[in-house]
Amino acid sequence: MPRFLIEREIEGASDLTLADLAKIAQTSNDVVESLGVPYTWVKSYVAGDKIYCVHEAEDAEAVVEHARRGGFPANRISVIANEFGPETASHSAAR
Amino acid sequence: MSALVEFGVEFGAVTGVAISDLGARPDRSYAGDVHILERDRELAALRAAVAAARAGQGGGVAVTGDAGTGKSTLVESACADASGASDRQLRVLRGVCDPLQTPRPLGPFRDIAGAAGLGPLLRDDDTLLADVYEQLYEALRAEPTVLVVEDLHWIDAASVDVLRFLARRVDSMPIALLVTYRDHEIGPRHSARPLLGDFARIEGLSSLHLDPLSVEGVKALVDGTSLDPQRVHELTGGNPFFVTEVAKDPDRPLPASVRDAVLARTADVAVEDFEVLQLVATAPDRLDDRTLPALGVDLPTLRRLDGTGLLGRTRGGLVFRHELARQAVESTIPPGGVARLHARLLTALEMIEPREPAVLTHHAVAARDSTRAARYARDAAAEAIRAGSHSEAVAFFRIALDHVHEATTPGERADLLQRLSFEQYMTSQLADAIDNVRATFPLWQRAENPAGLAAAHDTAAIFEYYNARRVHAEAHADRAAGIADRSGADLAFGVARSTRGLLAYMRSEVDLALRCSTDAARIADEHEFAPLAIKAEFVRTLVELAGGSVEARARLSDQVETARAEGFDELASTGYSQMSSLDVEQRRFRAAEHVLDESLPFTVERDIPICRHWQTSVRSRLRFNQGRWNAALEDADHVLDEDGMPLATVWPNLVRALVALRRGSGPVLVHLDAAWALARQIDEPLRTLPVLAALAEQMWMTGVADPRVTDDAVRELDRLAGSPGTEWGVGELAAWLLRLGLITEPPDAAALAEPYRAAFAGRHADAAAWWRQAGEPFAEAMTLGDAPDPDLRTRAVELLDSLGAVATADRQRVALRRDGIAQVPTRPRAQTRANPAGLTNRQLDVAKLVARGFTNAEIATRLYISIRTADHHVSAVLTKLGLPNRRAVVVRADELGLS
Repeated sequence: MPRFLIEREIEGASDLTLADLAKIAQTSNDVVESLGVPYTWVKSYVAGDKIYCVHEAEDAEAVVEHARRGGFPANRISVIANEFGPETASHSAAR
Repeated sequence: MSALVEFGVEFGAVTGVAISDLGARPDRSYAGDVHILERDRELAALRAAVAAARAGQGGGVAVTGDAGTGKSTLVESACADASGASDRQLRVLRGVCDPLQTPRPLGPFRDIAGAAGLGPLLRDDDTLLADVYEQLYEALRAEPTVLVVEDLHWIDAASVDVLRFLARRVDSMPIALLVTYRDHEIGPRHSARPLLGDFARIEGLSSLHLDPLSVEGVKALVDGTSLDPQRVHELTGGNPFFVTEVAKDPDRPLPASVRDAVLARTADVAVEDFEVLQLVATAPDRLDDRTLPALGVDLPTLRRLDGTGLLGRTRGGLVFRHELARQAVESTIPPGGVARLHARLLTALEMIEPREPAVLTHHAVAARDSTRAARYARDAAAEAIRAGSHSEAVAFFRIALDHVHEATTPGERADLLQRLSFEQYMTSQLADAIDNVRATFPLWQRAENPAGLAAAHDTAAIFEYYNARRVHAEAHADRAAGIADRSGADLAFGVARSTRGLLAYMRSEVDLALRCSTDAARIADEHEFAPLAIKAEFVRTLVELAGGSVEARARLSDQVETARAEGFDELASTGYSQMSSLDVEQRRFRAAEHVLDESLPFTVERDIPICRHWQTSVRSRLRFNQGRWNAALEDADHVLDEDGMPLATVWPNLVRALVALRRGSGPVLVHLDAAWALARQIDEPLRTLPVLAALAEQMWMTGVADPRVTDDAVRELDRLAGSPGTEWGVGELAAWLLRLGLITEPPDAAALAEPYRAAFAGRHADAAAWWRQAGEPFAEAMTLGDAPDPDLRTRAVELLDSLGAVATADRQRVALRRDGIAQVPTRPRAQTRANPAGLTNRQLDVAKLVARGFTNAEIATRLYISIRTADHHVSAVLTKLGLPNRRAVVVRADELGLS
């Protein structure tokens, strides 16, 4: 299933407390439950005035619908084309 | 991707993030599907308004027509031009009024404020409405904007006020104000009515009515199908929405109604999905996206429903693309199912923040959930009051009262009724307000709360007085004092006495007024209750001022400013009302002008209707006395057309009657009779004497004997001459009765104000000079006319002619000829070019600024108009004043009463 990176502009995002985040997470979970299509919230990162989320869904439409229902902003949605990390080095083309 | 879930332009709207073209309707609209037929002229007008806004010139268009005539489509099309194509995009802000049973206060402006990045409009209880207006004004004028407000037939009163505020300033903002409404749904009492008047009257604003399509238009829409245009036209009456729906399914049998056409599109929808359509139809504003999880509506369902083409997404929710479609689906809900659907929505809506009490009330009422209906209606009323939306506050309090539990205590019920009655007073529904205060009496008794009962009687006294029922008012005030006194409710006693004192002052009952204010002052002192102390002080000072004390005027002015500085808005406003009233009565016109310039905007800003009506009526009298009759009539019409408080309608009626009488045009008696009926009810010398004088003037003009003059006026003059404060009224009435020969001797000199004393002593030239100095040209002319000297009498006729008092001048011409005076000025053939009496209030504002040496650019800024409009006004002012240039206005400002 495609993975999406969602950029959400939320003023003062970095100041959200754990309790705030818990509330948001609960809302998000309820929304995921309500969609009626395969959908996985993978992880989110808070940075500055933004929250970056990684979601798995069949299409961007579902990601948008998730945002609407949660009342979350979703300023930019991009399909994650690939993922890599330190371990990727072991897949060296030279080998 | 389906339309219901597509993202793109709309997405910013969903997320609440400002984007450049928020106004563009997010869903794929009819505008995109259909050519706009037979609307070339209308579309051109809207495009012209948009183009003008882009160029910095403000204007507005109201688009009217039946449901389905394509109002929204047309506006959307103009907006699409604004936000698309051009390299310079225009900001488009869009607000919608919803068909809730009682609308959300400031509903459309919440959308607009959000999109303009203003945040919540009413931050807290202390937010002044005037600040909200300013904030919107500043935000809207900051860049060229198309402001769309749709469906005014469902608008709330506060939004009407905001729109009127903007409409008056439209000339000074780069804005295209586009509104839509169904004209036949706005009756004469609808709160949007005054706004529609603005669109008819204000330059730069106009209205467009959309007619149904012709057969040719229908033909174009069904072109390429097997449908017979003539038959479709007959069936649909040329309604574009209906025709479009028919054309979408050309192979089905022709539907009999719009409803059938819409429902045909749902023929293949499964039962469970149809219930979702019904849920959306049950939410007249929108089915909030955030309620979808709680309502169990999943994404596959939305995808299936997308096939019907009936739904769209906007403002963070699901909506029907057209209200007619919503109504069609709503009509399929069986009577037993309505409450259940509303209950589901209510539960889902309660889970999201912030709550919208007006919307919750709507659903709670329809769900027949009394407890929640009462609770949310109270919240909604409080919100409406904060927004200054008093008609909605009335509606919500009514709902609260209809739903409060049987077990509610009498005190709670009385409290709700009292709040309701106050809001009814705020909307000029005095009779209802009084009924509801009276309904609290037995409740306070059952609650064994004498202070509450006394306060209720005090409120009843005030409302009855505004309603011009003085005797009832006095009885309530006395009863309030009695109840409070017996039960030891000191403060309530003091308040009731201060009310009684003010009533006594109004009736020139000096001793009683002073006794009452002494009681009130004592209580205020004991309880250190500042507003009561100020009110008591007011009455004492007013008594002195009415009695002729010059020093009291300065003291009163200080007291009013103190009240205002302390934040006692109503008190300060009452002070202004009485001060301006006495200034006009005692012919301090310049002082009156200053007070009203300051205080009338204050009454608007602080939302105090009785003082606004009263002061507008005082200004009407002021303008009338100054010979500015058009401006006087404007104010008079304002009070009478707005259903002003009966107490405030004496002057407006007199002004209408006397201007018509003197100009020899329009009905006189109907207004005189109304003024007389009021004067009798109110029975106060300062009101009765001028009305009697007007009746006498009418008798003098027509020669028809009137027992109200021959009997009442003669008797009242005799009775009132010499009582405190009546020197002006007695003088004026005596002058007319002398002219009529109904009295032969004037009253004692001591009972008369200065110019009357001089005139009755034969010093007509002195008296006329006094009037000239004071700025009352008609009185000046009549005094000159009373003189034996033919030259003075001739001048009188000329003066009357220049005032436009043609009928009065003619009457004097006849007298001159009868007395054998040779040089009778001929009647001016047409209105001479110069006509100071013809200045409107707006032109007077301009004239005053010209007199102060302001440039047109400065005038434009001050009056929120464009420089071009200021130019027009200044030319009109110069023409009417008969002056060659603005310097002449500056030089003669004093004489023209413009300084």
